[in-house]
Amino acid sequence: MKRMRLTIAILLALAMILGACQGSQKPAQTQAPATEETTLVVWDQFYRDVESQVMDTLNAEFEAAHPGVKIERVVKTLDDLKVTLKLALSEANGPDVAQVNQGRSDMGAMVEAGLLLPLDSYLAKYNWGSVFSTSVASRNSFTPDGKTFGQGNLYGVSPTAEVVGVYYNKTMFKKNGWEVPQTFEEFEALLAKIKESGQTPISFGSLDGWNAIHEFSAIQHLLVSLDYINNLTYGVNNVSFKTEENIKAAAILQQWAKAGYFTEGYPGIGYDDSNALFKAGNGAMTITGSWLAGELINDTDQEFGFFLMPPFEGKKALAIGGVGIPFAIRKTSTKADLAAEYLNWMISPRAAELWAKAGMLPAMALPEGADIDTDNLFGDTLRAWDAINKGNAVGHYIDWATPTFYDTLVAELQKLLGSISTPEDFVSAVQKDYEAYLSK
Amino acid sequence: MTSPKTQLVPRYLLLTFFALLVLLPVSGLFLGAFKTDTQLIQGPFSLPRTWNLDNFRQAWFTGRFNIFFKNSVIVSAAVVAASVFISVLMGYAFGLLPLPGKKWLFPLILLGYMVPFEAVIIPLYHFLDLLGLRDTYWALILPQIGLSVSFGTLWMTSFFENAPRDLVDAAAMDGCTRWQTLWRVLWPLAKPSVTTLVVLVFMWTWNEFLLALVLVQDETMRTLPVGLAFFQGKYTANIPLLAAGALIVAVPTVLVYILFQRFFIRGMLGGAVKG
Amino acid sequence: MRSNQAYPGENKWKGWLYLLPGFLIYLGFTFYPILETVRTSFYEWNGFSARRDWIGLQNYRVMFYDAQFTNAFLHNLIFILFFCVLPVLLGLLLASLLTRKTLPGMTFFRTVLFLPQVISMVVVGVIWRWIFNPQFGPLNILLKAVGLGSLTRAWLGDFALALPAVGSVGTWVQYGFCMILFLAGMQHISEEYYEASSLDGANAFQQFLHITIPGLRAEIGVALVTTIIAALRVFDLVYVTTRGGPGNATLVVGFLIYRSAFQQNRIGYASAVATVLMIIILAISLLIRRLQNGNEEAKE
Repeated sequence: MKRMRLTIAILLALAMILGACQGSQKPAQTQAPATEETTLVVWDQFYRDVESQVMDTLNAEFEAAHPGVKIERVVKTLDDLKVTLKLALSEANGPDVAQVNQGRSDMGAMVEAGLLLPLDSYLAKYNWGSVFSTSVASRNSFTPDGKTFGQGNLYGVSPTAEVVGVYYNKTMFKKNGWEVPQTFEEFEALLAKIKESGQTPISFGSLDGWNAIHEFSAIQHLLVSLDYINNLTYGVNNVSFKTEENIKAAAILQQWAKAGYFTEGYPGIGYDDSNALFKAGNGAMTITGSWLAGELINDTDQEFGFFLMPPFEGKKALAIGGVGIPFAIRKTSTKADLAAEYLNWMISPRAAELWAKAGMLPAMALPEGADIDTDNLFGDTLRAWDAINKGNAVGHYIDWATPTFYDTLVAELQKLLGSISTPEDFVSAVQKDYEAYLSK
Repeated sequence: MTSPKTQLVPRYLLLTFFALLVLLPVSGLFLGAFKTDTQLIQGPFSLPRTWNLDNFRQAWFTGRFNIFFKNSVIVSAAVVAASVFISVLMGYAFGLLPLPGKKWLFPLILLGYMVPFEAVIIPLYHFLDLLGLRDTYWALILPQIGLSVSFGTLWMTSFFENAPRDLVDAAAMDGCTRWQTLWRVLWPLAKPSVTTLVVLVFMWTWNEFLLALVLVQDETMRTLPVGLAFFQGKYTANIPLLAAGALIVAVPTVLVYILFQRFFIRGMLGGAVKG
Repeated sequence: MRSNQAYPGENKWKGWLYLLPGFLIYLGFTFYPILETVRTSFYEWNGFSARRDWIGLQNYRVMFYDAQFTNAFLHNLIFILFFCVLPVLLGLLLASLLTRKTLPGMTFFRTVLFLPQVISMVVVGVIWRWIFNPQFGPLNILLKAVGLGSLTRAWLGDFALALPAVGSVGTWVQYGFCMILFLAGMQHISEEYYEASSLDGANAFQQFLHITIPGLRAEIGVALVTTIIAALRVFDLVYVTTRGGPGNATLVVGFLIYRSAFQQNRIGYASAVATVLMIIILAISLLIRRLQNGNEEAKE
């Protein structure tokens, strides 16, 4: 009898603990089968204010156009997405639609694991070929074994575009009588001139690491051919990282660091902090992507402009750029057709218009007569993207090349910038990573 | 012998130095939370121009800290209640009850106190999914109970081992069951130890980062530290907003510590040393 | 640990009923994942595909030849200086200043000095990233203000200084903890010892060395175990301050595990590193525990 009472007491206590949590579960999970509604679970990484509003508007309009469909939106940061998405897509109740980062460690690995639905039949059905070029499509393509990047099936569609270039402080330029440089030679002369005047030529912070890849690669893109950068990124035709061009780019970057062209103490400054400094008028220029434009328009008394890294005299220049993180469909989703319809909506003219209004570059053409002001910083980025897109000069984020390339590049570039290593050491170390991957 | 007066001045100076070492960074965060982006860059310890709450408002509503706060409260409350209750039972069993197999059971539990979280996160994820618990509060509560129970059991065992035996035996003579002895005789004595355990488990659960980041993916289920990391996204972040968010994360644990520090110290005395 | 006798007529298995709920949760959500991690360390697996290949000890072999692992482990050892040695010394110093003679304001100091221990590591990281900021961080501003402008550095981005900088944050977090622990222990040391030694002409330092330190043996042991473990499994702090940079100068084992598992999809390798870390932590804890028990037995 005593023992019974004890057992009951424990069970009761446990039930109390369990019960306390039962009530906190989301109602959606318990009542789902009872309704006729179809719920499409979408994971995106547009978490910043303005972006998030665009997504909310697009989702609401999609729901309005498809009665009975409900979008369950889950917002993540890119870091968070990298950690959690792979695991989630391998589950039977994972998201139907998700933004999947390009490159081997993300999209490649997921294709290899059979987590993503090939979109080629939808490509034909919705005639997406008229929305984006094959060069853009190849950035979201893999062979079905996930081994070869840049060809094979289409696995995602990107709503936004990105281009890396130079932001400059117009106010400061006007005051000092500086001109936007037309060639790389002029650019370097300008850097020296700004330094002489006692100002910071390039606002930069390498503490977070990843943006150092852009600084290096922006110079690299002025020196190499499109074929080379394609081969390197897609890991085909056995190119090497150990080339004259890469050594030269590394040497230029190191020389800039030595000459004091970057923000004082840049190795200890994070990306966000360096942008805050730039926005506050500290630094004449900064080299980064078009995504920053929206930030630089609001809440500041400085005026900013944007130009592409100018080419070496008499040489055709590429620019780092591409399309933003694409939307993909989970292979095991039972609502693939609806999901594809959603993807089609994400790259519609209406989406292009909303992104442009939010100051983000749309990957799709803007609809005729869209009411968008382009006489500003956003217009600068739009024209820059247009120029490289039409001029077939869209390069790559080289950190997509191997699963460990990002970490290797960041570490090696920080060493290069700190003059711990020489440009030759740098390319050798990176080549070692690249070789190890190719030999697998 | 030196006179106490001359000793006093250097003593206070040294203490003040170390106190400032703590207070300056913390007050910098506090002041920063009221500033704007550009004001922050102008000077670290300058007073903000106005004590406006915009950053807090933005963190709370737009940054969804209101939801994260609620989640943190629910998860912490459940983990604290369950793991403290369970730890008391386990500590009682280890400390005062006959327990065949105790020799190998105890090191087994001890292991959980030393394991780094990074080491268990992937198997945990798959196990929770198998149980259909992913994206529920359970995904945060159950593993953290498991991890807290190790320490809690150590803690409570050392209390019960040192509890007055004659009191326990006297209770048994009076016809108390083991269950009654625990709650009627020992519980009042255990309160300081239990309070300490409550404070410690609360702090660990409230501040836990990696488990909360990986095991729950639904944005509406996130806890505060993960929500804070959300601000440090890839492209841009607003530093004063970050400071405001950081303050929202920090204030509850600081308050609990200040309110309960007496128990804290007493518990350290009783528990940790003998553990 | 002594074994307890069942009362006459009492079932000796009854204690298991008390263990059951906690033990089940512990087994499922802590112990099973530990075993699973050890098992995974013998496989090559990317963490989500259905295929995993048994490769025996290959992951361990790779690890011992991996310069990153050695590098990271070395940094953890250096962190022992910052997370353990310095905090224990500072803790002893502060505790000896705060105790014995009750002076006004001691409660205030005690409360403040422990504060860093209760704040989330993510928050601590946010604070110190700002303090170390070369441009608008208070540290460099302070140095310039007192005429030491030549000493300003990029702290977290400096190859030589990043590790000590992150380590100092560890010291900042840990010394209050040590102090509280020692304060508690000092209350147990009888005032008579001090009085007696004063009569013998011992000064404060001699008293500290011969009375306080031996009296705190147990507390020092606990402080050592706790802070060494903290130094070995540090993750959040590196994650929010430097992410292992510049150029792996602050890479630690915990971050290496995270990076391998979540950024590079090398779950098998990450599990092997985690297993080794776990074994090292276990060994160190048991060693210190044994030393301490030996000491106590010798005393009795």
